Amino acid sequence: MLKEMMRFISRGHKFLLQLNPGYFLHTGTQAPQSTAVHLDDQVPVESPKVISRTSESDPAKHGEQHEGQHYNIPFQDLKTIFPHGLPPRFVMQVKTFSEASLMVRKPALELLHYLKNTSFAHPAVRYVLYGEKGTGKTLSLCHAIHFCAKQDWLILHIPDAHRWVKNCRDLLQSTYNKQRFDQPLEASNWLKNFKTANEHLLSKIKVQEKYVWNKRESTEKGSPLGEVIEQGITRVKNATDAVGIVLKELKRQSSSGIFHLLVAVDGVNALWGRTTLKREDKSLIAPEELALICNLRKMVKNDWHGGAIVLTLSQTGSLFKPRRAYLPQELLGKEGFDTLDPFIPILVSNYNPKEFESCIQYYLENNWLQHEKSQTEEGKKELLFLSNANPGQLERICAYL
Amino acid sequence: MAAPVLSAVRGWSGLAPGVQGIVLRLPGVTQVRWSRYGPEYQDPKIDKEYYRKPLAELTEEEKYERELRKTQFIKAAPSTKSSSVFEDPVISKFINMMMKGGNKILARSLMTQTLEAVKRKQFEKYHAASTEERATIERNPYTIFHQALKNCEPVIGLVPILKGGHFYQVPVPLADRRRRFLSMKWMITECREKKHRRTLMPEKLSHELLQAFHNQGPVVKRKQDMHKMAEANRALAHYRWW
Repeated sequence: MLKEMMRFISRGHKFLLQLNPGYFLHTGTQAPQSTAVHLDDQVPVESPKVISRTSESDPAKHGEQHEGQHYNIPFQDLKTIFPHGLPPRFVMQVKTFSEASLMVRKPALELLHYLKNTSFAHPAVRYVLYGEKGTGKTLSLCHAIHFCAKQDWLILHIPDAHRWVKNCRDLLQSTYNKQRFDQPLEASNWLKNFKTANEHLLSKIKVQEKYVWNKRESTEKGSPLGEVIEQGITRVKNATDAVGIVLKELKRQSSSGIFHLLVAVDGVNALWGRTTLKREDKSLIAPEELALICNLRKMVKNDWHGGAIVLTLSQTGSLFKPRRAYLPQELLGKEGFDTLDPFIPILVSNYNPKEFESCIQYYLENNWLQHEKSQTEEGKKELLFLSNANPGQLERICAYL
Repeated sequence: MAAPVLSAVRGWSGLAPGVQGIVLRLPGVTQVRWSRYGPEYQDPKIDKEYYRKPLAELTEEEKYERELRKTQFIKAAPSTKSSSVFEDPVISKFINMMMKGGNKILARSLMTQTLEAVKRKQFEKYHAASTEERATIERNPYTIFHQALKNCEPVIGLVPILKGGHFYQVPVPLADRRRRFLSMKWMITECREKKHRRTLMPEKLSHELLQAFHNQGPVVKRKQDMHKMAEANRALAHYRWW
């Protein structure tokens, strides 16, 4: 009953006024902000009611005064921190506008606040970003990843866990454990991107065991983790085992204090759902029988300390889940929810009026809205109606206008 | 026989009275496509501004018209026409022509993807160009679409006329709606048939639209071929009797 009520409220045209009682408290202090000029805010030429950009590109300094404003991610950071993981439409937008700007929003600010105050002696806390389709869960995750990368954490980012449980062409029987299956292509791809993201930290972490790959190759104890990753990339057959080793070593050594670990998984409900992969005799494979999924489940357990775990639920790539499902209980199922329990849920919802204005302003500044009528008040009202302030829908509609 | 034909003909709203007369006069001709609405039915007015005018601003004529419409029968508005500010009759017509098997959702999504593709290509060109060239690059996909279709419209067409046992291709002036139809038809057939099987429609269409916008490409060439044929058959022009 409570679920039905929450769904009813979020679906209507009330922009979170009931769910976010703090919004009213903030509007009073924020109203003069749009007319006043802060030292770190860029004022656009025509000085509209809502400022859509901020020149503060360090996520650590983002606070409530930046809410609703877009900040730029420099291209260098984009190439190193996000070799994978950005939504495909966002990548297209970055290419078209020649700049990557992300909106600073409340759920991301909340998450950053928690991450800033993580205590590394306690077990890793799990944060779950959930919300309806197109509300900005993946981009909030990317915001958190940008912050952690700037603070020199080690980022373990799985861009889409759903891609590991479906459409896999080659499944090998694992050499390490006969019951499990290997996915060489996905594993080697992920290792390549992991290496690009964390190049500078990999040489500092040493492997604590000897690993024998086959008769001729082995990795000695005390060699840098980079070697294991190289082995996984070059010998694609051992890629899944390399991934397993990387995860195990990172989990063991995260408490040592050399580095902080951020585990970021997008679409974590894939770990406990169903797969569409079949064996040669056409019988279905459960997620437990995939080595990658098994190792990831161990990573997401909170029995290690020295970092944080940020997860996103996603219905878009999920298998056998109804289209309207977005709550953690619905998407994770009983098994997943019990494994992840306790976690901190963070709801990501549609744009509030200020964020909507800011988004439209951003598009107008980049001349993205080319239709003459879309630049008028009537057009803006119609955009609001058509998209219901859903960020994903608004982006798709503005793309062809 | 004549009486039922006559009564059927009276129900044809949308036909010009002159054409109605011609059709009535030809013996044994029964129109197949006819509307269920009688001549007393008025077309619906979908314009938001018409209804938003406050009563004080209306002239006597408009007030009379409003009162009259309250008592008349009005046809149902088609579900494809909306009072949205972004609505464009040319785009709607093009979508209908692209539609196959009644799949309007697919046709509309192809159209929106085409407009997006055109926009992104133009933005690429804009960013790569120098400041002088930037003023000449058009980024609005709608202006490009309209201009491209206008550039593909033929001015004169050919009609087969039977004379002395032979069919002659006679040059004939085309009505506005025939020209618009031909331009859209040529554009769609060009993209469907002459391109590689595996390329997607938005990709093909956006490429063709951009070429037609610059007066290049196969569709404009087809229009020019049509004009050349008409010029070549100029001598037969007097075979036309209308």
